[in-house]
Amino acid sequence: MLSKTGLIIRREYLERVTKKSFLITTLLMPVVMLALMFTPVLINEFSESEQRTILIVDATGEVEPEMHSVPSITFLPVADEAEGRRILDTESAQGVLLIPDNIFENGANVQLISSEPASINVESAITSQLNSIIEHKRMAQYGIEGLDSIMAAVESDVTLRTLEYNPEGDDKESSTLVAYALGMVLTMLLYMCLLLYGQMVMTSIIEEKTNRVLEIVVSSVKPRQLMIGKICGIGLVAVTQLLIWTVLIAGASSLILPNLISPETAAQVEALNANALATSDATANIGMLQAISMLGNVGYILQLFALLLLFLVGGFMLYAAVYAAIGSAVDNIQDAGQLQTVVIVPIICGIIFGVQAASDPSSTMSFWTSLIPFTSPMVMMARIPFGVPAWEIALSLVVLYLSFFAMVWLAAKIYRVGIFMYGKKPSLKEMIRWIRYN
Amino acid sequence: MDILNVDNVTKNYARHCALDAISLSVPEGSVYGLLGPNGAGKTTLIRIINHITAPDSGMVTFDGHPLTQADVAHIGYLPEERGLYKKMKVGDQAIFFARLKGMSSREARTELRAWFEKFGILDWWDKKVEELSKGMAQKVQFIVTVLHRPKLLIFDEPFSGFDPINAALLRDEILELKRQGSTVIFSTHNMASVEEICDNITLINQGRNILTGNVAELRERFSKGKYQITFTGPTQTLIDALQPVTESYSLSDAGSGAVTIDINAAPDATVRQILQTANDTVDILSFQKGRASMNDIFIQTIGKS
Repeated sequence: MLSKTGLIIRREYLERVTKKSFLITTLLMPVVMLALMFTPVLINEFSESEQRTILIVDATGEVEPEMHSVPSITFLPVADEAEGRRILDTESAQGVLLIPDNIFENGANVQLISSEPASINVESAITSQLNSIIEHKRMAQYGIEGLDSIMAAVESDVTLRTLEYNPEGDDKESSTLVAYALGMVLTMLLYMCLLLYGQMVMTSIIEEKTNRVLEIVVSSVKPRQLMIGKICGIGLVAVTQLLIWTVLIAGASSLILPNLISPETAAQVEALNANALATSDATANIGMLQAISMLGNVGYILQLFALLLLFLVGGFMLYAAVYAAIGSAVDNIQDAGQLQTVVIVPIICGIIFGVQAASDPSSTMSFWTSLIPFTSPMVMMARIPFGVPAWEIALSLVVLYLSFFAMVWLAAKIYRVGIFMYGKKPSLKEMIRWIRYN
Repeated sequence: MDILNVDNVTKNYARHCALDAISLSVPEGSVYGLLGPNGAGKTTLIRIINHITAPDSGMVTFDGHPLTQADVAHIGYLPEERGLYKKMKVGDQAIFFARLKGMSSREARTELRAWFEKFGILDWWDKKVEELSKGMAQKVQFIVTVLHRPKLLIFDEPFSGFDPINAALLRDEILELKRQGSTVIFSTHNMASVEEICDNITLINQGRNILTGNVAELRERFSKGKYQITFTGPTQTLIDALQPVTESYSLSDAGSGAVTIDINAAPDATVRQILQTANDTVDILSFQKGRASMNDIFIQTIGKS
C-alpha cells in the first residue's frame, strides 16, 4: 500500500501527466527551442533578401568599374549628383554614392545619400569593397610585378581546430562552437523548466488554498507531507518530460542522423573521431563535422542528459520549496508578485551567469557560480559541454542537494503556518518569523 | 466512556488568544454541539482535534490515549468552507480521499458504490467536480467524510447550502451514523437543528468555555420562571397587573383576537400569584410553563459573558 505522501505524489503526477496539454508542450517545446535558435539566422536571411539599387557618381572614373553588385545590392553608374537625386525621386534607386576624385589619397570624403534609413548591411558592403579597391590601387602604385597572383596566394582564411589536452597523449577533439551552442541550449532548457515547474508548484498550492480542498487534505495528512508530496509529484512530471526528450533526441541521433549525412561526410566524421583527419582536407567543414560527431554520439548525449536530470531535480527541489513557501502565504496569484522576486532574481542570475559561463567556462566567476546552489544548476550545465572535472560536478551536486534538503525543511515550516493564514498578505519578514512557530 | 477529552487546551496566535484553557468531554455515541459566535475559536479547536495544529499547552485524549497523527484515520471532518479538486473525476477523488484515510482502493470502491447508490448519484462517478452544482459537490463531500466509518465525525455547518429536502436527508444520515455508534461533533449557528439532534453542547466565547451541558437539562434550567399565557381581554391592564411579579415579558398574536404573553417571573413570584393576577384581569385560554429555546440560551449566555 502506498504511503500518504505516495498517494499525494501519485495524484499530483497523474493529474498533470494525463492532461492533453502535457503531451502538447512536451512535443512542442523542442520545436520552440529550435525555432528560438534559428530565429536570428532567419531574421538575417529575410533582412538581406531585400533588393537595393545604389547609384554611383564616380569623379575618378576608376572606382565604379571595379564595384561588383552583390545579391542584395545592385550598383549602377550615373553621370552626376543631380541626375542621381532625380532618380531617387522616382524611387527606382535607394541611394547615391558620391566618390570624390581624391579618394585614393583620402578615403574620408565618400558620401552616401540615402532615401531610407541607412542599413548596416549596405554600409559595410560598400566600405569593404571601396577599401579593397583603394588598397589594390595603392599597392599597384609600387609597381610590383605579378601583383594579382601574389595577392591570391597571400590571401588566408584560418580555421582553428581546438584539441583538448590529455596528459596521456592522444588529445581529444573539442569544439568551442559546438560546446557553446550545447551549453546555451542546456542552460536555457533548465531555466525554462525551473521557472515553469516552480511556478506550477506555487499556483497549485494557492489553488488548493483558495478552493479550500486543503482543509480536507490536511485533516488526513500532515501539511509537511502534503507539501513534499506536491513538490515531488510535480518534479516527477518534469523528470518525465526530460526523459521523453532524451529518448527523442537519442533516437534521432542514433536512427535519423546517420541516414541524413552523405557517406563521405560520415567517413570524415569517423576520421575526425579517430583523430586521423588530414589537416589539408580542404573540403571538410570542421565545425559541422564536430557537431555531427557530437550529436551522433548517443553515449555522450545520454551522459549529458543524465547530468541535466541530476541538476534539474536538485535545482527544481530548491526553487520549488521557495515557491511552495510563497504559495502558502498568499491567497491569490496577484499577491504573490512581490514575494516572487525572491526566487525570480536568483533564477535570472543563474541564466545570466550561465550565458557568461558558456563563453568563458573556466573563469573564476563561472567556477564559483557553478557551486553556489541557486545559480549552480544553470551555470554548471553551461560549462559541462566544455568538459568539467568530475570532482567539481560532484561537489556542485552535493552542495545543491544539501541546500535543497535545508530549503525544503524551512519551507515546510513556513508552509504549515501559511496555509491557514487568510486575508492578509504577509511580508517576507513575517514569513521568516513563522519558521519559529510550534 | 468519553471518546474525546479536551483538557485545558490553550492556543495563542501572534496577536490574540484563540483558545484559553478550554476543557470539554464528548461522550461516545452522542451528538455534541460546539456552539459559539463567529471568531469564538471553534475552528481552531476543531483543527487541534484533527491534529492539524498543535495546542500551545493542554492535552487532547482520543479513545483513551493521547491524540496522535494515526488517530486521524478514525476521524472524519467536514469543514465549513468546502472544496474538492475541480479537475478531478468524482469517483477518483473520493477514492483518493478514502485512501488518505487508510482504506484500500478496493474497499473504498465498494463502499463508495453503496453510498452513491443510496444518494442516487451513481452516474456522477465519471464527472469532473467542476461540472457539479454546489449542492451536488456537498453531497459528494459528505460521503467522503463518512466513508471510512470514523469513530468521531466533525461537521462544521453541514446544512449550509442544502435545500430543505437534502438537509433532511443529511440529518437522517447523521442520526443513522449516531445509531450505528459514531460520535458526532456538530458545529453550527442554526440553533433549531441543535435542539433537534444534539445531546450535549458546549458554548464557546472568546476562546473560553462558557456553558456546557445536556441540551434537555439546559433548556429545563433556562426555562425556570418562564410562563406562557394565552388570553382574550385588555392586554395593557394585564401587563400593568403583572408588573410586580414579572421581570420581563414579550407579546405575540395568537389569532382570533387572542394574545400570547411570555413572561419571565420575578425570583420570589409563585405560579399561584401569577395565575391569580391574570385570572382577575383577563379570560385565560391557556397557561403553561415556558420553554427556553437554544436560541434564547445562546443569546442570553453570550450577552452576559
